[in-house]
Amino acid sequence: MLNALSGNLESYLDLLSVRQKLISSNVANADTPGYKTQDVDFQTEFQSMMQGGQAHATEVAGLKVNNDGNNVSLDREARLLSENALRFSAVSQLLRGQIRNMKSAIDEGKNG
Amino acid sequence: MSLFSALSVSASGMAAQRTRAELITENLANAETTRTPEGGPYRRKDVVFQTGSAGSPFAEAMNSAMDGTGGVAVSEILVDQRDPEQRYMPGHPDAGANGYVAYPRINPAEEMVDLMSASNGYQANVASMSAVKDMLQRSIDLLR
Repeated sequence: MLNALSGNLESYLDLLSVRQKLISSNVANADTPGYKTQDVDFQTEFQSMMQGGQAHATEVAGLKVNNDGNNVSLDREARLLSENALRFSAVSQLLRGQIRNMKSAIDEGKNG
Repeated sequence: MSLFSALSVSASGMAAQRTRAELITENLANAETTRTPEGGPYRRKDVVFQTGSAGSPFAEAMNSAMDGTGGVAVSEILVDQRDPEQRYMPGHPDAGANGYVAYPRINPAEEMVDLMSASNGYQANVASMSAVKDMLQRSIDLLR
């Protein structure tokens, strides 16, 4: 995008939206028999996305499995939902600052 | 474009939970129904959920990055096959020769618990959808 930093911010936002979709999918399947909670390993996937890779979803280990084989914990998803929204809001503010800087550089050039 | 498909995933969850709530209300409304078009008393219905596509052709076309993760769909509606409950009511027009009437085998407590679960599931999907909407709005605001 604009420079290396905003490129990284963009991959971060991309990874957050991938994670958001997995959270939505976990919530939607909270009553589906046999469904297993999906998530991304944030750090590893972010490293690979900065090198131009794709994010991969994995099953989350260590959650309590219900009688119907489903292991979605709505409390866990609610926590991730708010965490994800906060991260997204923080990073989009940073990216907005980058764009504003670029815009002001363009405008100054126009006036001068 | 994951964010837009996340909206359809939540929508599929809401639709599935609503179908479930509709069937539960139908069960409660028909808890004492002794006549149905198929003959015999009403039989309890329940849903079976399965993971499925979020059901939006637009989302499917845009959804190249994360194939295979999707929403939820109602795969079938189960009709209760247990024998109906027999109540001794000789004066009832639907009573058999021995004076017993076949009533649906419906436990209101069980239905109410299922209804609460469906309603909680619906709310969870609404919360996730509004979080996605906020994120989309923030992305749009980047260019303001």
